[in-house]
Amino acid sequence: MKLEIHGLTKRFGSHAALDHLDLSVDGGRVIVLVGPSGGGKSTLLRVLGGLETPDAGEVVIREKPLPRSEAELLAYRRRNGFLFQQFNLFPHLTALRNLTLPLEEVQRLSPADAKATAEAALDRFGLLAHAHKRPAELSGGQQQRVGIARAVAAKPEVLFLDEPTSALDPEMTAEVLELIQELAEGGQRIILSTHEMGFARAVGDLVAFLAAGKVVESAPPAQWFEKPQSEQAQRFLSRVLRYV
Amino acid sequence: MRTGTQRIWNGIAALLIAALFAGICTLVFTKLGGRTDWSKLWEFRGLWFSGWLCTLLISLGALVGSLIVGLLLMLGQRSPLPAVKWSCRFFLEFVRDTPLLVQLLVGYFVIFAPFLSRTLDGMGWNEKIVIGIILLSLFEGAYLGEIFRGGVESIPRAQWESARAVGFNRSQVYRHVIFPQALRRVLPAVAGQFVSLIKDSSLLSIIGVQELFYQARAYGTRTYSGLDAYIPLALGYLILTAPVVFLAHRLERRFRDET
Repeated sequence: MKLEIHGLTKRFGSHAALDHLDLSVDGGRVIVLVGPSGGGKSTLLRVLGGLETPDAGEVVIREKPLPRSEAELLAYRRRNGFLFQQFNLFPHLTALRNLTLPLEEVQRLSPADAKATAEAALDRFGLLAHAHKRPAELSGGQQQRVGIARAVAAKPEVLFLDEPTSALDPEMTAEVLELIQELAEGGQRIILSTHEMGFARAVGDLVAFLAAGKVVESAPPAQWFEKPQSEQAQRFLSRVLRYV
Repeated sequence: MRTGTQRIWNGIAALLIAALFAGICTLVFTKLGGRTDWSKLWEFRGLWFSGWLCTLLISLGALVGSLIVGLLLMLGQRSPLPAVKWSCRFFLEFVRDTPLLVQLLVGYFVIFAPFLSRTLDGMGWNEKIVIGIILLSLFEGAYLGEIFRGGVESIPRAQWESARAVGFNRSQVYRHVIFPQALRRVLPAVAGQFVSLIKDSSLLSIIGVQELFYQARAYGTRTYSGLDAYIPLALGYLILTAPVVFLAHRLERRFRDET
């Protein structure tokens, strides 16, 4: 997937979450954003996912400029998928209805088609047994997997995942990461932020290291994890990999 | 599990409360007893029923009206346009912070009647009832507006975000994600407001709407029967309010089981 970002800036009050960020990606399906908390990973993902409009800068994703107007952004969000850290599902609806509602309302599928599509998506991730449960009856890992099933049910062009496992315990983290890996191997284009370095290394085609609102460096994971160029990245890696 | 001493104290409390209640009842009935002609009160049934129907009509009308007003005020308060937002806020505070009685008198005699009476009469409608419903809708709607706003704002940010992320537009976000969850949270408060609405409708007698309270008072004055008619009057209101309370409790329980 081609991605060109130039001078991207997003301020919240006086704080610049993204500070003239540049990134250029030529190929690969899975882009992984890593770096310290507060470094701008989430904000970048939210801008790329069409949930936030930047204050300045240019983004060209898959050869098309990122839309600016709310109407175009809505259409853009409808073509892509987005998953947050937690609370993705609508608690008053069953897992199945969480999938069928957007399919009917947004993708304009008939109720029968929506149900078939949703059941296929749940079945694919081994969640069909939980179709009629409400989110409160599911574990955190199951909730995230249903969330991912909802995001991919409509076949998104790009799937954006914002720290999808940060709220989960190690066992649930593993089950969610496995699912994401499966999607990546199936050819899904993914841009995600994560603190799971082993996963970033195994599944990413490109790692971008963000700190203080900038991409400090980006490289294929094998190269970056072996020989990070910047001192910042070296310090970050030595710290997060100490107990791995 | 209740302990033995607790059971004894509960028994004593129950006995004391029953004695107090019996005492008050005896007091009331000995006061009324000498003068109350219960057989004469039976003649009140025709007036009572016509008043009750009128109260029912007003309550249903104002119930629908206040829901619309409340919804508009809630959306208005969340408007990105400051002019709309502050007008709604000001209207809402004004209505909530002045007496309903004053609003009814001024609203009827100064604002609505001079403009609407002729048109409504021309259409064959009872202008007092229609204007009464409008005024009551505005008053109760202001309270509902505030209740709805609280409900909508209590829905966590993550839900708005997720709704946007799946591609819902603004009205779909409200319809499918925010309202269903907010409704569950505000239901007890809304039910309480509807009960208030039914009881507040008695104040419409001040502008001459011939509802239940008006008829009870008219009967009392005509027959010099004092306060006798007020007992069936209270029952008339209870028949309307009790089902609202009952229904709200049932819905509340059903929603609670769901989540």
